[in-house]
Parts: sequence; structure tokens; C-alpha cells
Amino acid sequence: MTQAPAPKLTDHQPVPVSAPSGALKNLMLLLVPPIILFSMFLILYAMVRANLQEHRQFLMPSGAELWANAFGRPEVLAELAQRSLITIGIALTGLSISIPVGILLGVIMFRATILERAMFPNLVALQSIPTLAIIPLIQTALGFGTLPKVLIVAKFTMFAIPITLLLGLKSVDRGIINLFRLQGASWRTTLVKACFPSAAPALFAGLRIAASLAVISAIVSELFFLAGRGGLGQMIINSKIDFKYEQMYAALITATFLSVCVYIAFTWLGHRLFSDWHESGGKEN
Amino acid sequence: MTLQAESQPSDGAPPAGPQTGGPRPLGEVALSFENISMQFPDGTQALEDVSLTIRQNEFVSVVGPSGCGKSTLLKIASGLFPQTSGIVKVDREQLGYTFQDATLMPWRKVRGNVELLMELRGYSKAERKRIALEQIKMVGLDGFADHYPKRLSGGMRMRASLARSLALKPNVFMFDEPFGALDEITRERLNDELVSLFMRNSFTGLFITHSIPEAVYLSSKVVVMSRRPGRILKEFDIPFAYPRDPNLRFSAEFAALCNEISVSLRQAIEQ
Ligand SMILES: Nc1ncnc2c1ncn2[C@@H]1O[C@H](COP(=O)(O)OP(=O)(O)OP(=O)(O)O)[C@@H](O)[C@H]1O
Ligand SMILES: [Mg+2]
Repeated sequence: MTQAPAPKLTDHQPVPVSAPSGALKNLMLLLVPPIILFSMFLILYAMVRANLQEHRQFLMPSGAELWANAFGRPEVLAELAQRSLITIGIALTGLSISIPVGILLGVIMFRATILERAMFPNLVALQSIPTLAIIPLIQTALGFGTLPKVLIVAKFTMFAIPITLLLGLKSVDRGIINLFRLQGASWRTTLVKACFPSAAPALFAGLRIAASLAVISAIVSELFFLAGRGGLGQMIINSKIDFKYEQMYAALITATFLSVCVYIAFTWLGHRLFSDWHESGGKEN
Repeated sequence: MTLQAESQPSDGAPPAGPQTGGPRPLGEVALSFENISMQFPDGTQALEDVSLTIRQNEFVSVVGPSGCGKSTLLKIASGLFPQTSGIVKVDREQLGYTFQDATLMPWRKVRGNVELLMELRGYSKAERKRIALEQIKMVGLDGFADHYPKRLSGGMRMRASLARSLALKPNVFMFDEPFGALDEITRERLNDELVSLFMRNSFTGLFITHSIPEAVYLSSKVVVMSRRPGRILKEFDIPFAYPRDPNLRFSAEFAALCNEISVSLRQAIEQ
């Protein structure tokens, strides 16, 4: 028998477990990386702007110009706040339609495969109708009020909801369903007590997508349905007409900020609801 | 009981053996499989002509090679899916069933999980809570009632699952390898608990396991199944009286019986 080669041993030291970090440290860890990345984008912006011909630099206002002509001026701030309220109102009203309708559609498709087969392709078709193409039709049918804007937001934000919900509902653990079946539980009981909780994290992923689209689609809708004292979308158009590009940027930045806020709100809510038990939850074991 | 199988003559006198207590009187048929065959839609023949009768107060364990159709047999008994041919007689209202996996709902804490079946049966809230805490203690999970399943070990999850089934106090209880994931000591402790539960509540048991000592210790009868397609090869009557003395595990008779079953199982696997 030949001698086996001596095993190569490596020392593995204990890895010190980092003490549970404080709230401040957690917040820093949450905020600092995106801020760094964002700063890099700002630098890129500044570099592009520096290379622009002088007479085209108005397209990319500098920070100082933004401050002097937009964010530093109380009347512009007041206008931004007022218009934000209008835009966010449209966005949230649209969501308040698309969320229940989307959930209902998801549940209907879950009820029977035949319903899913019937509805799914139609949903996809509906989603792929280019909104811009039907805007003239909507204008003629519904005028220029709030209703068409809200409907456009609803159309934009609805799609992700039934799709993610259906996926979640279908991936509920068969064993859990069997438990319910063995007790003779009704379909409704099973839906409410087993399928919905199990699908909730997936649904929330869909809601986050919907939320992030809501503000954007509200602005898009405003661009086409200018009426009365509109929201941020109208401000963008107005400032273009008036050649106030700083205000246009201010409106854009505010809209982005709103969008992020809505997204964060839904993310936070989802985290609150599921982090205790769901694998995606942030809490360590 | 709604089950009505005509009572058949009992198979002779209660088995003799080193008895420390009275023999348990065997009652009516509580669960019977008559010529059960099972072929899955994909063509897998899982069971072939399985006949097995379990009387009230009997505790029957099934051992057999992995994949021979033991779980399938329980699923058929519970009605989760229908057999291809043959007849099952059982009162499904009174049937308890623990699955091979713990199957806990991750969004409910241990107590909520243990309460589930009672909830579906319409028990009152107070009653649910009382029974749940009682059962949680029974399976040795006290202190963990407010933990989510993701924070339990595999064995602890299985115990929670067991507590959930025990809560309904069924007459006929089917266990699918409930203690497979447990350490030896905990397994033996739960075996003792199960025996005393079996004594107290006079339920009928159908127990699947890969551990022959466990099967012998718990059961009044051990059934050996063949490789897939599963057939019943041999039935062993276990002569020891209930309640069982934990020291029984170290007796010569016990070891001899385990050996005999082990040989039979080896034949089942090799043939
Ligand atoms: N739904 C199904 N469709 C097709 N085949 C299946 C299905 N369920 C089980 N089988 C097959 O039937 C056979 C018996 O499965 P079963 O789960 O009853 O085995 P088992 O005896 O419980 O095994 P183990 O001891 O490993 O748990 C296996 O070969 C399995 O592949
Ligand atoms: Mg099995």
C-alpha cells in the first residue's frame, strides 16, 4: 500500500460576528451607496454640460441656475408643491382603481384554468395597445377632465398586478392546500387563509412596479390632457413654451422625487408586512 | 363511527409475550385497504394489490424500501387522491394525518400553525388557544409558540406539525415518517409520548418509518412492504403489552424481533 499524500490543512479562524448595528449605521448603509452612485451621475452630467456649446447649455442647467431660477424662489416652490398635489392625486386615484381591479382579475384567473386561458392573452393584448395611439379616442370620448387621466394611470399600472398575483397564488405549497382539502375547507377559505398570504409577497412586488409607474403615467396623461390648472406635467409643457428650462428641470426632479416616494412607501409597507416570515425579509434568522 | 365494515372474527387470542399490562382489546375495523392498486397517470405503478386491516386500538407500522408507495398508501386513505382499484374503508372525519414534510404556513407563528386545523373545523378562539398551547407543550416546543417556522430547526418544525394533527384528537391517526429528522434521544422521547397518548386516547395508528426499532417499540403489528410496486410481504405481530417500558428497547426479545424484521426488509430490498 502506498502512503496517501499528507493532507493540506488550512487554518480557518473564527469570523467575528459583527455586533448588531445601530439604527444610524443601518440608515447610513442604506443611503450612502445610492448617494455615491448618484453623485457619479451628477459628475457625468456636469462633464457633458461642460462640453456643450455655449448656446445649447440652457438644455442642461447648472445647479446654480436651478437654484436661482427654480428651487431658490418661493413662488416656484409653491407652484411645485401645488402641482405635485394634483399629480400625486391623479396617480393615487389611478392606483386605487388598478389595484382592486388587478387583484380581482388575478383571483378570477386563479379560480379556473379556463378563465386564465381566456383572460391572459386578452390582458396582454390590452397592455400592448399603445396608449398614445388611443389618446385621440379618449379625448373625444371622455373630454379633458380628470377621469381620462386617472384611467390612463390605471391602464399603465394595472398589468403587473394580476400577473404577479397569479404567479404567487399558483406557487402556494401543495401540502398546505392538501391540509385545507383534508378538512373540507371551501375554495374561499383556502384562498383567504392559504393562497393570499402565500401570494402576498409576490403581489407586493407587482404593487411596487405599479407604484413606480403611477407618477410617471400621471405626468404622461397630463401632457395630453392639458386642462385647468394641471399638475407637474402641465408645468413641464408651460415651462417649455415660456423657455424656462430651469423650471422644467425642477418639475422633472420633483416628479422623480414623488415617484421614488411612492415606491419607497410600498416597499416599506411590504417589508413591514412580510419581513418576519418571508425569505426575502431583511431580518436575519 | 360511520365506517361500516362487518366485524370479522378476531385473529385468535391476543398475542402472548412478556406482558407488563393488560392486552388492549381490539375493536371493530377502523381502517382497511382491500386490494388497493395505484398507478399514476405517468404510468408509475406505486402499489399492487395491498390489503391491510387495522382494528380499533391497533397500532400498525409500515416499513419498506424508499419509494415503495408508503406515502401513497396514506394519501389514498386520506382521500388526497383516488386509488386505481380496490376499496378503502375509513371514517375520514376522524382521520388524523401528519405528512412527511412539516408543511407549516411560513406566515403563521407556531401557535397559529397548530391552531389551523381547529380553525378550519370551527373551534372557538379560546379553545383553539388552550389546546394549541397544550399540544405545543406536549411535543416539547414550549417557549416557541411565538416563533415563525423559519426560525425553527427541521425537527422542531416536524414537532409543530405533529402538534397540529394531535390537536384534533382523531380516532385514527396516520403518521408519515414523523420522526425521521429527529435525533435519537428526542425520537425516543416522542415515541414514549406517542405510546402514552395512544394509551390515553385509544386511537388507532398507522405509522410509517424507516426505523425498525421505532416500529417495534410503537406497534402492535409491523408490516413489511416490497420494493415498488409496493405489496405487503409480511406482517409481524408484536407481542409486548402496552404501556411499553422504555427499557424494553434493551431486552433480548426486542432485539430478536428487530433482527427478524430487518432480515425480512433486506429480502424485500434485494429480491
Ligand atoms: N404524483 C405522483 N405522480 C407520479 N408518480 C408518483 C407520484 N407520487 C409518487 N409517485 C411515485 O410513486 C412511488 C411511491 O412514492 P411514495 O412517495 O409513496 O414512496 P414512499 O414509500 O413514501 O418513499 P419514501 O420512504 O422515500 O418516503 C415512487 O416511485 C414515486 O416516484
Ligand atoms: Mg414517503
